[in-house]
Amino acid sequence: MSELAANSGNSPAVVASPEIAAAGQYLTFVLGGEVYALGILNIKEIIDYGDLTEVPMMPACVRGVINLRGSVVPVVDLFARFGKGSSKIAKRTGIIIVETSAGDGDSANQDIGIIVDAVNEVVDIDRRDIEPPPSFGTGIRPDFISGMAKRNGRFVILLNIDRVLSVDEMTRLSQAAAV
Amino acid sequence: MSFDDQMRDALVTFTIESLELLEDMEMCLLSLEDGEDTTERINSIFRAAHTIKGSAGLFGLDHIVAFTHVVESLLDLLRAGNLSVSPELVAALLPCCDHIGLLVRDVADGKLEADPAVDLTGGQLLEQLQVFLSPLADKNVATAVADRQSKLEASGGGSIESGKWHLSLRFGPDSLRDGMDPLSFIRYLTTFGQITQLTTISEAMPPAEQMDPETCYVGFEINLKSDAGKDEIEGVFEFVQDSSSIRILPLDSEIGEFIDLIKQLPEDDSYLGELLIKSGALTRRELEDALNQQGVNAAGDAGDTAAKQPIGEILVEHQAVQQPIVNAALDKQKQIKDNKARESQSIRVDADRLDKLIDLIGELVIAGSGVNLRAQESKAMALLEATGEMMRLVEEVRDSALQLRMVPIGTTFNRFQRVVRDVSKELGKEIDLIISGGDTEVDKSIVEQISDPLTHLVRNAMDHGIETAELRRERGKSARGVLRLNAYHAAGNIVIEVSDDGGGLNRDKIFEKALERGLISPNAVLSDQEIFAMIFEPGFSTAQKVSNLSGRGVGMDVVKRNVAALRGSIAVESHYGSGSTMRIHLPLTLAIIDSFMVCVGHSTLVIPLDKILECIALPTDTGEHDYMDLRGEVLPLVHLRPLFNIHGKEPQRKNVVVVEHAGIKAGFIVDRLLGECQTVIKPLGKLFTHIKGVAGSTILGNGKVALILDVPTLVDYVQHKSATVY
Repeated sequence: MSELAANSGNSPAVVASPEIAAAGQYLTFVLGGEVYALGILNIKEIIDYGDLTEVPMMPACVRGVINLRGSVVPVVDLFARFGKGSSKIAKRTGIIIVETSAGDGDSANQDIGIIVDAVNEVVDIDRRDIEPPPSFGTGIRPDFISGMAKRNGRFVILLNIDRVLSVDEMTRLSQAAAV
Repeated sequence: MSFDDQMRDALVTFTIESLELLEDMEMCLLSLEDGEDTTERINSIFRAAHTIKGSAGLFGLDHIVAFTHVVESLLDLLRAGNLSVSPELVAALLPCCDHIGLLVRDVADGKLEADPAVDLTGGQLLEQLQVFLSPLADKNVATAVADRQSKLEASGGGSIESGKWHLSLRFGPDSLRDGMDPLSFIRYLTTFGQITQLTTISEAMPPAEQMDPETCYVGFEINLKSDAGKDEIEGVFEFVQDSSSIRILPLDSEIGEFIDLIKQLPEDDSYLGELLIKSGALTRRELEDALNQQGVNAAGDAGDTAAKQPIGEILVEHQAVQQPIVNAALDKQKQIKDNKARESQSIRVDADRLDKLIDLIGELVIAGSGVNLRAQESKAMALLEATGEMMRLVEEVRDSALQLRMVPIGTTFNRFQRVVRDVSKELGKEIDLIISGGDTEVDKSIVEQISDPLTHLVRNAMDHGIETAELRRERGKSARGVLRLNAYHAAGNIVIEVSDDGGGLNRDKIFEKALERGLISPNAVLSDQEIFAMIFEPGFSTAQKVSNLSGRGVGMDVVKRNVAALRGSIAVESHYGSGSTMRIHLPLTLAIIDSFMVCVGHSTLVIPLDKILECIALPTDTGEHDYMDLRGEVLPLVHLRPLFNIHGKEPQRKNVVVVEHAGIKAGFIVDRLLGECQTVIKPLGKLFTHIKGVAGSTILGNGKVALILDVPTLVDYVQHKSATVY
């Protein structure tokens, strides 16, 4: 199985990122009834949803900005980013603050918040339980997925956060939206 | 951290501090000619030189010590009033300042030894100083100085002088334990020359029962007849220099040398007696006697401490020391106090730590407002009062924390005093520099990066802008040219202006040149602005001759690039015959601006106050028009609600904020006016760079983020929109 994973990892046709998700600790969360997971190394903190300031002239996936202890952090609506319409804000809605590399050679990392319906737990995922992402059928862009983890008999989608929150791509999107 | 690392760190601090001191020194030197009371400034110049020398000595940077020492001697004369301030003197001292800077920078680059070529220039500079020192050589005070100087020059320049030396050695208590046998040093000394006299100083020796046989208590006073230079003899004691006190004096040292010794003492003691003892002018026994005497006198005066006789006076009375030495020690004592006071004036802090502090305080404000909210819900008056007071304090703390990162641009401007002075001498033009707006505050990182482009603009203006005195007279201007540096805040930007009253840009000549270089077509119709913008093209120059200052056509494009790198812009305004102004607009990343808060729907928006003319209630009869009647004037209106995509119930009454940019007025329709406030601009991330009409964001007291409106682009946007509609 690991052989299979390595093979498909090397094939850029399937995944844009050169490697498949590694084993380790993941934070699972719910979004639109689906369970997703993010590697915890990228996650800075989880906060309650609130006090969001909307920014005009932005695509739907950029909800606005929040004040995170004195710095202004953009908040991305992950549901909208997956092209499934905007998230409904509910009692358990939270914002996961994720650190992403800013892309084009900028040394500074950019913090971005993502809106999720509910945060579940931190789980250990074994290498053996990670399957390569399928090329279709998940309902979201294949390059957003870095693997599928089997857990309690169901699949958890491991997100490739650098692709999902690619600042360059979202900037291009919002430029297009503004024109 | 190893010792080497520590030394390296210390060395970095030394270079930073020294360069700062040199900057102060230069400023003071330049202002000396103003003619007002110069004592304080001379003192601070002297202190700067002295501190650099002292610190350099700690690191064993002998070449810096040697050079600075001579400069210090001259400054000392100046301080004592034996020399008067003259333009020539200032002109001689300024290059010395630069030279010390060069030496310090060399050290920062890792060159701990003197560079022969640099040394040569140093020697020449010292010769120039000699002109000021030598006429006073016959005076009593000056002799010692000049004497000292020639010897130090010998050690600095490497030549060997024959002479007799008096060595005063106090070995550190751990010398024996460290394997440094004092005797072996003395034996080694004899290889340099002959020891004519040797006295063992054993006063530090404790009673036999307390004595530790492994501790070195003895010191030596040695007269040495040797051809070796001072540095060579000093080299003998290289291994014990850190822990021991080694002083080498010319043998015929008299009072002057003691004074010198006192001045060179480390600044860790501020007791007069201790200073004198350390200089060797006084023994501890003498001091104790004097102190006893002082106690007795004071007791006689019925405990009136204020009437205590100064220890110095007692010592002189007892003929333990001479008056001049006491005076020198008193000076030294004062200087130590001054330096201590100086140290407390400023503290160096990492910018990162400041940022962290500011972030934390922001968090505190938000947490505080949470507490305040709860207090309001509880309706407990006492609690409300307490939280109110706390909030006020927290906000004050936040304001002062934010101020920490901001520095006035004046320090950068002041540096140009020197540039203008030097360049105008070089060009043979008389140019005055007028600085205004120096207390305009900008983020420190911008200040650091703007000085290069500014230097370029200033040099350009002086070389090409301002005409020669003859030409100026012909044109009916005063012979002295005027260069202005100005700074002010405008619309969340800092604007820096470099203006001259010179010839101005020649529109036709630039047009011709641009044509020649194929930048424009011959029948192009261009505005003045567009033509002037040509000067920022790479390699563009209309100068007939190339000087060593400018004229090669490299530069303005670099300036433009540098300014653009700071996300700023540069514009030229010029009138042929009467001068030009270069205007640099820079964003103030973290600057505080005065602003006005308004409310649209549930959103709070912030408008820079300096763009706002007035606020009025929206007349109910405007209907669907996008304009209103403002006292007979047509005022175009901007509906912020649809523009910013804000939903929510529209109120009955609305307000109009009248703004002006570039002569065009516009009215922003808002729901409510919330009032004036001070706003800290927080840049929005990269994601939002393209958004028009938003200049940045700020964090409100309640922790929410508010957007700052970019008035110029909004006005442009609306103009553009209406232009396309009709």
